[in-house]
Amino acid sequence: MKKIIICFLLLLGITGCGKNQEDTLNVLNWSSYIPDSIIEDFEEETGIIVNYSTYSSNEELLAKISSAKEGTYDLIFPSDYMIELMINRDLLEPLDKSKLVNINNLKKEYLNLDYDKNNTYSLPFLATTTVIAVNRDHIKDNITSYNDLLNPNYKNNIVLLDDQRIVIGMANQALGYSMNTTNDLELKKAEEFLLDLKKNVKAYDSDSPKTLLITNEVDIGVMWNAEAALALRENPNIEIIFPKENGALSIDNYAIVKGAKHKDNAYKFIDYILRPEVMKQIIEEYPYINVNEETEKLLSSEYLANKAANIPDYIINQAEMVQNIGSNIDKYDKLWALIK
Amino acid sequence: MKDKLFKKIITIPVIVYALVLILLPLIYIFILSFLKSDSYGGVINVFNLGNYLKIFDMVYIKVFVQSFLIALVTTLICILIAYPFCLFISQKKKKTQTLLMALVILPFLTNSLIRTYGWIVLLRKEGVINTILLNLNIIDNPLSLMYNNLGIIIGMVYTLLPFMILPLYSSISKIDNRLIEASKDLGAGSMATFFKVIVPSTVTGLFNGSLMVFIPCIGYFFIADLLGGGKLMLLGNLIKNQFLTARNWPFGAAISITLLIITFVLVKLYKKTGGKMDDLGGF
Repeated sequence: MKKIIICFLLLLGITGCGKNQEDTLNVLNWSSYIPDSIIEDFEEETGIIVNYSTYSSNEELLAKISSAKEGTYDLIFPSDYMIELMINRDLLEPLDKSKLVNINNLKKEYLNLDYDKNNTYSLPFLATTTVIAVNRDHIKDNITSYNDLLNPNYKNNIVLLDDQRIVIGMANQALGYSMNTTNDLELKKAEEFLLDLKKNVKAYDSDSPKTLLITNEVDIGVMWNAEAALALRENPNIEIIFPKENGALSIDNYAIVKGAKHKDNAYKFIDYILRPEVMKQIIEEYPYINVNEETEKLLSSEYLANKAANIPDYIINQAEMVQNIGSNIDKYDKLWALIK
Repeated sequence: MKDKLFKKIITIPVIVYALVLILLPLIYIFILSFLKSDSYGGVINVFNLGNYLKIFDMVYIKVFVQSFLIALVTTLICILIAYPFCLFISQKKKKTQTLLMALVILPFLTNSLIRTYGWIVLLRKEGVINTILLNLNIIDNPLSLMYNNLGIIIGMVYTLLPFMILPLYSSISKIDNRLIEASKDLGAGSMATFFKVIVPSTVTGLFNGSLMVFIPCIGYFFIADLLGGGKLMLLGNLIKNQFLTARNWPFGAAISITLLIITFVLVKLYKKTGGKMDDLGGF
């Protein structure tokens, strides 16, 4: 409902302010990623009107960017592997870092990563990693690994993400393979693992897996850390477990779309969010992993004490990232259709 | 003459609409289905039949079969609910009939996605239905009403039932009462009258309604995702996945075209039973 109201207001915004093209910024971002209050504050401070729309997967973003007319969107927030893919397809504009005063706030370990070696096209916004969340009111067993989820006692009691790369990657990791394996034999084993695990799966849900955990629909979930952190806020008896298989890491980035019409406004927006106190507000509302050095000093004790929000560095360092596997994606797609 | 010209002019927007928004995209999808994917969301211009052959892979045939089974069960349940309901309504006074039919259409005023979320509140483990039944000591353990195929069927039947009721009602309310009286006068019992007089004269409405329920049912992936827990892949999910996750637009296009052909065959069958095309979009 909230989304519908936002869309409606946006529509009003577009029609109302159409004539003043100079002072707008077209942002396309993940849903539930930046609180509305941040956008309002930015608009008030700069006089720029933000047209904000959302997507729920990198692939949806790619479809929107590649099918829309050049200049429709200015600022987007793709994840790591999607940045690489968009660079290859020439969809991004190189960033002029001299326009970003607050760029030095970013943590060094999130810069110059493989998907964009010199951060020519992107800068990190947030990071997230997969964790296992267990409701200790009902489950007392010791869980340390994805393999523990196969326990027949957990029948119909697990929620997983509805994301083929992450869930198949999880099976790959449980079996000791790379999350991104394309080896047929290994994927065959992953298929068996997932068919076995499916007996315990109540739902595949990427939108809001925490809801199933909070409403006692399931007692175990594998989800992105922010979802788990929010579930933990609701129910303190949820335990956060970092699977010994290392888990998955995803980094979302600022990027400017090729042919963007409001580049300067996009830089202003990025720079605004790079401010330590702005990032603090975002990260405390949506507790993902913070990539801003200066924000680190401001974070509330509530955030720091939340085990699912404040992820230890060693967990982040050992987690694997989704990689582009070219036409091998067909194997994953077929496997996904098979286990469903 | 003037009248004819006027008619032509006012149909131009509709023709343009159909050409630009229906025919052109269809042609695009059709051509796309013979091309090759570059797996980065792009398309290589090489003619091949690979996408259609790929559909015959067991994995994808399974998806077809699953979808058709769900659609079939949904259609049958819709008939079982809608038929007695329409018979009941058609016996009422004209005013009551209008009111009851308005109530059938009323849910359309709310977006179906929101209504589906409403079902989650009712059906989940600690939802309204389970809480009531548990408190009344009717059950000892919460029932699994969703995150399984039952949830999908409940959602599908609920969402698509009006599409069965509307054509069936128009068909049933057209039955000439004198036929029923004649049948009774000639000594037929109510069972015989029902199966030999009422049912045959509503076949068109029945088939029309079935078509309107069966075909959308195959594509309503959001119901399978929300109420089925994303555990069952329907054709709608498969097509969506091809266009998004797998970035294989040509394969997605080929599945869509196949689905379209199946729809055409069903519509042809419908016409064979004496159905009119007007009735399909006619309410």
